[in-house]
Amino acid sequence: MTGRDVYIRSAASALPGPPLDNAALAERFGMDALWQQWVDVFIGTASRHLALDLDSGKLTVSLADLAEEAGRTALDRAGLAPGQVDAVVLGTATPDRLMPATVNVVADRLGIDGVRSFQLQSGCSGAVQALDVAQQLLRSGSARTVLVLGGDVIARFYDLDTDLRATAPAELVNYVLFGDAAGAAVVSTEPGPGAVSVRALFTRLVGLGREPGAVLEWFGPADRDSDRPAATEDYKAIEKHVPAMAGEVLEELLDGLGWAREDVDLLLPPQLSGRMTRLITEGLGLPDAEAVSCVDDAGNCGNAIVFLQLERALARLAGGRRAVGISIESSKWLKAGFALEGS
Amino acid sequence: MKTVDDFVTLLRDELALPVTADDLGRGLDTVESWDSVHLLALCTVLERETGRSLPLADVLEASSLKDVYLLAVAP
Repeated sequence: MTGRDVYIRSAASALPGPPLDNAALAERFGMDALWQQWVDVFIGTASRHLALDLDSGKLTVSLADLAEEAGRTALDRAGLAPGQVDAVVLGTATPDRLMPATVNVVADRLGIDGVRSFQLQSGCSGAVQALDVAQQLLRSGSARTVLVLGGDVIARFYDLDTDLRATAPAELVNYVLFGDAAGAAVVSTEPGPGAVSVRALFTRLVGLGREPGAVLEWFGPADRDSDRPAATEDYKAIEKHVPAMAGEVLEELLDGLGWAREDVDLLLPPQLSGRMTRLITEGLGLPDAEAVSCVDDAGNCGNAIVFLQLERALARLAGGRRAVGISIESSKWLKAGFALEGS
Repeated sequence: MKTVDDFVTLLRDELALPVTADDLGRGLDTVESWDSVHLLALCTVLERETGRSLPLADVLEASSLKDVYLLAVAP
């Protein structure tokens, strides 16, 4: 580290189509009022956006479409041109294709060329991992401005012909937890209007010897007829471990910065589901902090989550207010967190 | 589904819950692997089998599998 300060100058998001509420999903899958009530009570997510036409079953937009929109908006908000970007980093669990990397497709569309680009294969902490890569590039002095992107399109995992009445619990929850989105942030060593300072940011793999909490498969010609499910979630492991891990991340951030709990003005909590996020937020014990959540309206949108939260949080940090963000990835278990301070 | 035995068969076959008729009166929190997703799956199967809707608010009052069964077969 060189001691260079790192700033988030802007954040943006892109969501496909109108929000789909639980009634719309219930109708499409032929589920009744009880199912809808169950989602409201136990999942607590009111709506999500899907890159999917529920009538035709066709995908409507790609990850590149969404990331391009978010990236362009973030650059506009930062007042920067594509030529001023020194590197592009994208985190996603669901690239449009295995090759070419979606990050390079997005860079091309934005008119960014001749710079380093990286794509991380990542889950719910992917935004923080991408910000971590950007932070290292900036602190090393090899870049002044990095466009950081993250997003997921899980719509392709929706089987609209499935009978949810006969779907195993580990697959069933995927139909109501997630949403599609992309997000972006412009991160720089040069502050601009409205920029916030990154006071701390870390990611850490803690998956040694642990079974995955979530699995997404991909298939090729040799195994496309496999009967293994495309998406499963060990929701019990997630319910058990994520709240505790979130608490550990908070403690580590506060201890490292010497901040007291009362110093935190905004909390960006993990976005598992409306219900789980509320439980985790209450458990973290930050009575003065306003929670910045998007899961109620946008679902758990994977690698886009933190960018959606940042977009809502940045303006609220003016005047030296402080924020803590926590992100837990349950696929192979990562802890991630960051602390921000407004100028 | 009409009898308690039908109900147990359904729990074992459709929900993969390793229960017997003796387990039906136990508190739901003591049923192995029981959770809210199983609750949904059970209610969904019961609605399919009985052709009647089950209000979630009533099901949430159930403290045992037997309570759920009685709700499903109530006249």
